[in-house]
Amino acid sequence: MKCPRCVQRIHRAATSCPHCGFTLADADVRFGAEEVRIRCLTDSAGILRRGDRERVQAAMDHITRRFPQIFVAIYTGSLGEISNLRQFGFWLLNRSAFEDVPVTKPNAAGILITIDPESKAAGMVFGYLLDPFLEESDTFDCLSRAHAYWLDGDYADGIVRLLAHLDSVLRKRSRQARRDPEHFERKVLPPAQMGDLVRRIRAGHRPAAEEESNTEVTK
Amino acid sequence: MKSRFAAVFLSLTGIAALAAMDEPLPKWTGNEKKELESSGWIAGGVLLTDEPVPDEPKPQAATELKVEQPTAEEIAPEPVPSPEIAEKFLPAYFAERPKSFLIDPQGLLSQADYHDRLNFLNYHASDSSIDLFVYVIGGNQEIPSEVREEEMIERFFSQGRPAAIVYYYLGAPQRSVVYLSPSLTDAVSAAEQKRALASSVMQAFEKIHPSEQLEAFLVQMSIRIYWMERMIGGEANAGNDLPAFSRKSPATAKDAGKSAKLEWALSLARKFAMPAGVTAASLLAAFIMNFWLKRRARYHFPDFDVEPRLGGAHAAGVGAVISFASAAVPPASQRDQVPDYLRRA
Repeated sequence: MKCPRCVQRIHRAATSCPHCGFTLADADVRFGAEEVRIRCLTDSAGILRRGDRERVQAAMDHITRRFPQIFVAIYTGSLGEISNLRQFGFWLLNRSAFEDVPVTKPNAAGILITIDPESKAAGMVFGYLLDPFLEESDTFDCLSRAHAYWLDGDYADGIVRLLAHLDSVLRKRSRQARRDPEHFERKVLPPAQMGDLVRRIRAGHRPAAEEESNTEVTK
Repeated sequence: MKSRFAAVFLSLTGIAALAAMDEPLPKWTGNEKKELESSGWIAGGVLLTDEPVPDEPKPQAATELKVEQPTAEEIAPEPVPSPEIAEKFLPAYFAERPKSFLIDPQGLLSQADYHDRLNFLNYHASDSSIDLFVYVIGGNQEIPSEVREEEMIERFFSQGRPAAIVYYYLGAPQRSVVYLSPSLTDAVSAAEQKRALASSVMQAFEKIHPSEQLEAFLVQMSIRIYWMERMIGGEANAGNDLPAFSRKSPATAKDAGKSAKLEWALSLARKFAMPAGVTAASLLAAFIMNFWLKRRARYHFPDFDVEPRLGGAHAAGVGAVISFASAAVPPASQRDQVPDYLRRA
């Protein structure tokens, strides 16, 4: 997990970035604190033609059908610098209200792809539901699939390719999670407290009989 | 060009005529004619007699042309009455069941031809369950009347492997006769035997040399025996299914072997076609079913409680960011997502 502003690693329960102090409030200052009502496919930059839009929408629907818990949103617009793209994605997924997503699906189940055709950069943000399952490298691989198409200005094909790869990554992760859910659960458990650690170490060095008597006392 | 030649010719003819006109013709003088006629002279009489014209050479007496008479070998032999096979060869032909598939005690075939044909018959025997025995007889020879072929065949070929026996008249394939061993006579109709013989004779007649005729005959007969085998095995329903003539049949023993192998492969294919087809269809159905199930499959993720970070109620997971501003900066060089202040300008 990385901070959207300084791109440094942050721990699981960081209320603010320990390196730069970034929070959502900082993003609100830059982009606005109000809720934004958008559709899943919002082409503010106007880079998708009508036929392209249908193809992209079909690919998004395919993911939604196959993974009923999650949804995919795509936003295109001019944002300026790349650093803004990270913060914008983070902010948009937290502040947007997707009109065409059922209310039963919170934004935590969303995957947002942001494309800035002006600065020629794109980013991916995902909600807490996928936090244990997706890595930064997974999203990078997805974006890499689209790179060649986007270089040629073929945004629709790039997005379709990206979503196809995302589909395979999600399927793989879903299968892994079904086989070994504990592996993923460990990733999101709250960090162990220092007291717990000391208690565990001491318990390891204490004779078994003494430990039993201690438990009886506590009872 | 032609007109020029014509002009030259006409001018030359004119000059000659003029030259002739210059010389005066001879004339009778006085009573010359009367005196001559009184002496018996007749004008133009010289030409009316058989006597040779005076001052002309005497014709030579015509001499007979000396043409060489044709020799006895050159004269086409008169059709001789059919001689019977010499008695000394009869035991070799008809005394016992032949030990070789090709019986030629008279040595009618050359050594090389004999070996070639025998090799083919041996090959046929190895490839077929019906042996083929061939008695080679001279084209104008007759089997002695005391030899009863049917009886001989019943005696020699009742036991052992089934066989087809051919009396082949070298140079006269149309005289050939085919018999089947008793075990086959019931299974193969006389009509089919006739067809086999006719097609073999037909093939033989496509060749000129007697040895080549025999070769073509044997190849075709071998093929027909294969069909007989199939018919006996119940794989063919009726003789009508069999090809009457296979004009495009292989002309050599090797080709015949190839054809037989091909047929064997085809029979195998027919045998296993159904199970293979069913297996393939099952696999295809399983593949389609698997594809369909996968397509319809729904994937779920376990829902874990994740503590919010950075004040975000829904998301804090920032994935990768990629730049596609230049082809000179490939995705591979962007894999390490570093803070912007660490990035080179």
